[in-house]
Amino acid sequence: MNLKTQCIALALLFFNVALFAQTGYNITGHVADAQNVPIAGANILIKGSSTGTSTDFDGNFELEVKSGDVLQISYLGYVTHTVTITDQNPVKITLVEDASQLEEVVVVGYGTRKKSDITGSVASVKSEELTAYPTSNAEQALQGRAAGVVVQSNNGGEPGAPINIKIRGNTSINASSNPLIVVDGFVGAAMPQANDIASMEVLKDASATAIYGSRGSNGVILVTTKTGKSGRLNIEFNSSYAIQNTANEIDLLNADEFANYQNDIRANTGNTSPYTQGSGNTNWQDLIYRSGNTQNYQLAFSGGSEKIKFYASTNYFGQDGIVINSDFEKLTFLSNIDAQVFDNLKLGMNLYGSRDEKNGAATQSDGSVSAGGDDVITLAMRYAPDQPVYDEDGSYNSGNSVGDPVDNPYAVATERIDENKTDDFRANLFADWDIIESLSFRTTFGFSTQNRTRGIFSPSTLEVTAGGIDGRASVQNNKNTQVLSENYLTYSTTIGKGDFTLMGGYSYQKSVSEYYYMEATGFLSDTFSYYGFGSATNILQPDSTISEVEIQSQFGRLNYDWDDKYLFTATVRRDGASNFAENHKYAIFPSGAIGWKISNENFLKDSNTISNLKLRASYGVTGNPSIGAYESLARIEGIYASSNGETVSAVTPDRPGNPDLKWESSYQTNFGLDFGLLSNRINMSFDYYNINTEDLILINNALPEYAGYLDDEILTNVGEINNRGFEFALNTINISNENFTWSTDFNIAFNRNEVVSLVGGLDYFGNAAPSYFSHDRSYVLREGEAVGLFWGYDYAGVYQGGNVPAGTATLPGGVAGDPLFADLDDSGDITEADRTTIGDPNPDFTWGFTNNFTLGNFDMNIFFQGSQGNEIFNMTNVQLTNGDANTTRDNYYSAWTPTNTDTNTPRVGNNSNREISSRFVEDGSYVRLKNIAIGYTFASDVLDNIGIERLRLAISAQNLLTWTDYSGLDPEVNYFGSEGNNNFSSNTAQGFDFGNYPTVRTVTFSLNLKF
Amino acid sequence: MKTYKYLFLLLISLSIIGCSDLEEEPVGILAPEGFFSSMADVQAAVDGSLTHAINEKIWGRKLSIALMLRSDMVSLASNETRRVEMEELTTLASNGMLSEFWPRIYQGIAAANLAISGAESVSAEESIKNPVVAQAYFTRAFYYFHLVRLFGDIPYIDGPFTEADLTIGKTPVAEVYEKIIADLEFAETWLPETTASAAIPSKGAATSYLALVYLTRAGTSNTADFQKAYDYATQVINSGMYALDSNYQNLFNANVIDASPEPIFALDYNNVEAEDNAYDQTAPMTGIRGDDRNDGGGWSVAVPSLEVYTTWDAGDYRRAVSLDDEANINGTYVNYTQFDISGHQFAKNVPYIAKYMRYPGPYARINARATSHNYSMIRYAEVLLIAAEAAVELGNNAAALDYINQVRARARMGGAYKTGADIEKTFPASPVPANLTGTVTINDVLEERRLELAFECKRWYDIVRRQIGDQAYGPNGLEGNKEFFTADDYLLPLPEDELERNPNLLPQNPGY
Repeated sequence: MNLKTQCIALALLFFNVALFAQTGYNITGHVADAQNVPIAGANILIKGSSTGTSTDFDGNFELEVKSGDVLQISYLGYVTHTVTITDQNPVKITLVEDASQLEEVVVVGYGTRKKSDITGSVASVKSEELTAYPTSNAEQALQGRAAGVVVQSNNGGEPGAPINIKIRGNTSINASSNPLIVVDGFVGAAMPQANDIASMEVLKDASATAIYGSRGSNGVILVTTKTGKSGRLNIEFNSSYAIQNTANEIDLLNADEFANYQNDIRANTGNTSPYTQGSGNTNWQDLIYRSGNTQNYQLAFSGGSEKIKFYASTNYFGQDGIVINSDFEKLTFLSNIDAQVFDNLKLGMNLYGSRDEKNGAATQSDGSVSAGGDDVITLAMRYAPDQPVYDEDGSYNSGNSVGDPVDNPYAVATERIDENKTDDFRANLFADWDIIESLSFRTTFGFSTQNRTRGIFSPSTLEVTAGGIDGRASVQNNKNTQVLSENYLTYSTTIGKGDFTLMGGYSYQKSVSEYYYMEATGFLSDTFSYYGFGSATNILQPDSTISEVEIQSQFGRLNYDWDDKYLFTATVRRDGASNFAENHKYAIFPSGAIGWKISNENFLKDSNTISNLKLRASYGVTGNPSIGAYESLARIEGIYASSNGETVSAVTPDRPGNPDLKWESSYQTNFGLDFGLLSNRINMSFDYYNINTEDLILINNALPEYAGYLDDEILTNVGEINNRGFEFALNTINISNENFTWSTDFNIAFNRNEVVSLVGGLDYFGNAAPSYFSHDRSYVLREGEAVGLFWGYDYAGVYQGGNVPAGTATLPGGVAGDPLFADLDDSGDITEADRTTIGDPNPDFTWGFTNNFTLGNFDMNIFFQGSQGNEIFNMTNVQLTNGDANTTRDNYYSAWTPTNTDTNTPRVGNNSNREISSRFVEDGSYVRLKNIAIGYTFASDVLDNIGIERLRLAISAQNLLTWTDYSGLDPEVNYFGSEGNNNFSSNTAQGFDFGNYPTVRTVTFSLNLKF
Repeated sequence: MKTYKYLFLLLISLSIIGCSDLEEEPVGILAPEGFFSSMADVQAAVDGSLTHAINEKIWGRKLSIALMLRSDMVSLASNETRRVEMEELTTLASNGMLSEFWPRIYQGIAAANLAISGAESVSAEESIKNPVVAQAYFTRAFYYFHLVRLFGDIPYIDGPFTEADLTIGKTPVAEVYEKIIADLEFAETWLPETTASAAIPSKGAATSYLALVYLTRAGTSNTADFQKAYDYATQVINSGMYALDSNYQNLFNANVIDASPEPIFALDYNNVEAEDNAYDQTAPMTGIRGDDRNDGGGWSVAVPSLEVYTTWDAGDYRRAVSLDDEANINGTYVNYTQFDISGHQFAKNVPYIAKYMRYPGPYARINARATSHNYSMIRYAEVLLIAAEAAVELGNNAAALDYINQVRARARMGGAYKTGADIEKTFPASPVPANLTGTVTINDVLEERRLELAFECKRWYDIVRRQIGDQAYGPNGLEGNKEFFTADDYLLPLPEDELERNPNLLPQNPGY
């Protein structure tokens, strides 16, 4: 493709060269911009004639002229320049950028708007921000960059961990809260690499998102990838290499201390036989952690003639994680090409493809000990330090000397295979047709497919997991394909002082998801990994499903702008979706917004101080359709059964039908104020929003279990949740002169969420504990409260013996040294009735703060980011105080003993069993120096000689410093418990820490090279 | 111009694909309407109903272990709250085992109801239809019988679930028993005398369950029910369809159990690690930590108190079969006084339950999970003891002596077995337990049931039915004084959240 485009460009050039066969004399000339960068493809025309030429890749031209000719030099985006030929030769022309086109243009759904004309709440994130430090996923780069956009890894610093993005809080409970991602107009596309992104717009309010109708309520991220510019070929090479380390380890007991600890537990629990100390002294954490690294390379070509432009790029990202045997690789290519086939017709194509391979170490176990012997992070804390890595016979030590039998963490990290391979491909064809001057038509036809395979193999060397069964393997394949076709007309006109833009269109999208699963045990050899199913002696029941969803929509928008003062926007979308239930196949999502550019009123027009003042208000309805296909239909389910020793077909009632199941609706109000001072050197934006999400798709927990349905997640549309808050963004250019510039970006967001109503007003309990914790409730959704409050006993210190302090009680059989809890119902016992809300994981505010400096050729970026007022439930510490695991020195040496009574830590071997209590709730606020970077750009006069346009070297550090009171490994936690990571848990299970892959500290060296 | 028009038309035509009616046409998903077209479909729902019972949430672990722990025969070596609550009889309405088997049992009932209602849309002769439907009636009775014994008054559903069922109240115990008996009578009428496996309900299974249901309903005094229990039990005995296995060990040997004449109704596991936990984990729950058998030994959770062993005559072959008093732990042979050499926190120096870890047959998961066991729900020995107990109540001492002594005589035969240390042995014919003579008492029968059916999850129901908790959990009980026991503990609480969902199920059982 690239080569072909270049050939075409060259051909055009020769064509131009062939033009000058006229009389007169030849002049040569050079066209450049204000920065003296040559402009290729600029048009040079002798005024009043059809004679002309255009500049070559170096901005040079040659033309036969007569003295007195007037040359007209034009180039898109620049003010047309005229020069009268007298005797100058060569002619040097500097084109100035057209200020009227300078103003930032913002991409909105199905179109673009001038930034100053935006009536909704839209945050733009610049390409430099996205590439300030290397990320495996551009979503990560959004963290802290836009007010009200909270970005969190699902699993700390795990290579290739999925990213959760929430815009303006959790607008849902059981449906996804992740925003819709639209890449170059393709709805629901995979995110390209940060290096290939030209701009990213985050649409936050309903006026901006309602054009995406039933998929707009979580906000929309519009991504525009880079395109080529006419002119000479650009070659860009970016590379970075980073070294990563874990920020800290937990201070655990060594072998001797551990034996003492176990004997103390035994003494306290009346067990007279001493603990048999093992022969080892192993620091399991040291064994599973290592120094990691990332490598990121990008090679991009771009350029084009005036008619054909192209951009082609390939990216490689590789990461060796800080846990042994966890790594990630991603290779992507992206290419955009468009051709102005005729004056009024442009055709183009976007292509994207990627392959990533994630080789994971087991972390964040759901607690099913049998499935993988638990995860390596918690195993490293739970496995007895007195056990050696290997037994005398050379096999892995396994079983653990305390607690449930598990494999040792080093063995699990080394032997267990867990590979995720994902292929993404997307192609989108488009045509833009300017039917008449004010009416244009765009049609797109796109296709995308994602193919994901996950293979897991536990070899027989993992004795507990797979020893007796000669290995266990599973393979899961998910294949999703989407076809998308969109067509829309845009009409613009001016009537008097009013500018109209009308847009209307039709869209059809179809997604098909296929799923295949197989699992088996009993392999001939461990070397087969999960590729030896043919040799398996015991095939477990395989599974396969297919589902299909169709969405067809009509949408439209009206923009009206009167005298550049009063702005009005109205949008509407009608969505029909096959996954909606029988009685609700179609939905209409309207929105309206007004804006007032006060600064354009006469009384402010001439102000030197206030350069921009705009008020915005919007209201609209958006939806969240996250109902799976066929979710509303009654069904019976095939299940395993046997008869007389043979497996037979069997069915059981699965769920009743719900002909009323439909999307969730968010009603959002937004008020905004944009404020610019001193020629917009100081820009501020305030936004207030209030989002009521109604008809929440909830699991019908009012359906009694005696109904006997197998599916315990039957959905219904009941319930309401509210999110409201303020966002503030500030950017200032503090100092700007030739040698030194300093600019600042600051954003902060305050979000409050509240569960307004639930099914039958019932509390909704969730469990974010691993399955071997016996409590099945660890957080609650309750009407009138924020989402996901921690739920448990209210810890009241250590029982000192004698009378139990008023209002408290111990668990049954409590003696001195055992924990005391608030006895809320004054029953004298601690029972279910004594559980209450014990903490709030929702932050008061989140913020980001960036300073950019340039001094001569040096540039510097300092980026802080933080979260304030959120609490963390330290589930890891629950396990570490349970006795059947190692513990921290702090836990052990501060524990209550008859001689150490002035403590808040109960005795070892106390009578609580992995209790969920306020004892483990900690402040999770943090301030983090997310990135600090220093770069040096070589002077262009030095580089010109060696044919390099730009060369920048930089060193940066990520997560270098973190200020937090949280005692765990890292305050950015995300653990979902035994139910795993699904929509419900990712919306509601917040602030739980257990077996998280730690966030890493990174030092990065990067190189940016442009020819 | 022409060229691009064609190109343009192409794009347009591409874009106009799909103007859909948005109807869903799922593939691979079953809708209840229209599913039932043959008796094979009804059988699939029956099998669906039966398979819930083998799930980990019922007999695979949660209910079976709960029943063991609540009894005086099995104590606890664990600090898991949900288990502690079962063992100590301090069960809360939020108990984590309760919340698992309650819904599962109702899923079994719903599948049985599905089979029964599904059969209505199949056109077939009664003679073809009813034997299949009768399995569903039997299964439904089997589940409700557990529920009524565990919880007392319960919501009773016997058809497809409807809107009205959302707010139903509890059905009183007496009425539930009437419905159980009616279901079993239908089952007895239509089930075949012989089936391919004891896990497929047969006429004898229905009759035996009728005997047990009447015995249970009789409590301590209902003579009419005792008479019914006696009649049904003797009907089974006199049918000649079943007999005592000559070797008591065979009953707990997955390799030979299929050939045994003794099981009447069983839950049959087949060495399959089935999805959704449809397999058993009972064996490792009762097994010794560090035990060299079964790829990793047991988990030492449900462990009898030492008194169970010491009060059991060493000459009784059944003790040798029921308990492991020696083992190889990490390669070292030890007797039970040294079982804690495994070093495990909860390892106990007592003999462990042997009925499930000794001969699990092939198993799909290490620690003898997903075994090949057949767990007898009712076996011939129990029918004999039902007859004996009813006979005592009815004053027929001769019959009581006859039936109870048949059971004791089999125990005296001894047989080939192996110890917990995997040593093959033959227990010689023994004078113990000697035949009873004189007047058989209820206590004699209950003691016989306690030993003969040890660890088979029968004991708790016996304690409840005979209201002997004061004795079983008193200071002279096998587990010593259980301070938290009260008569309220004879019933479990209904799950708390179920009462929140349907307040018409209130009041909660007393004491909770």
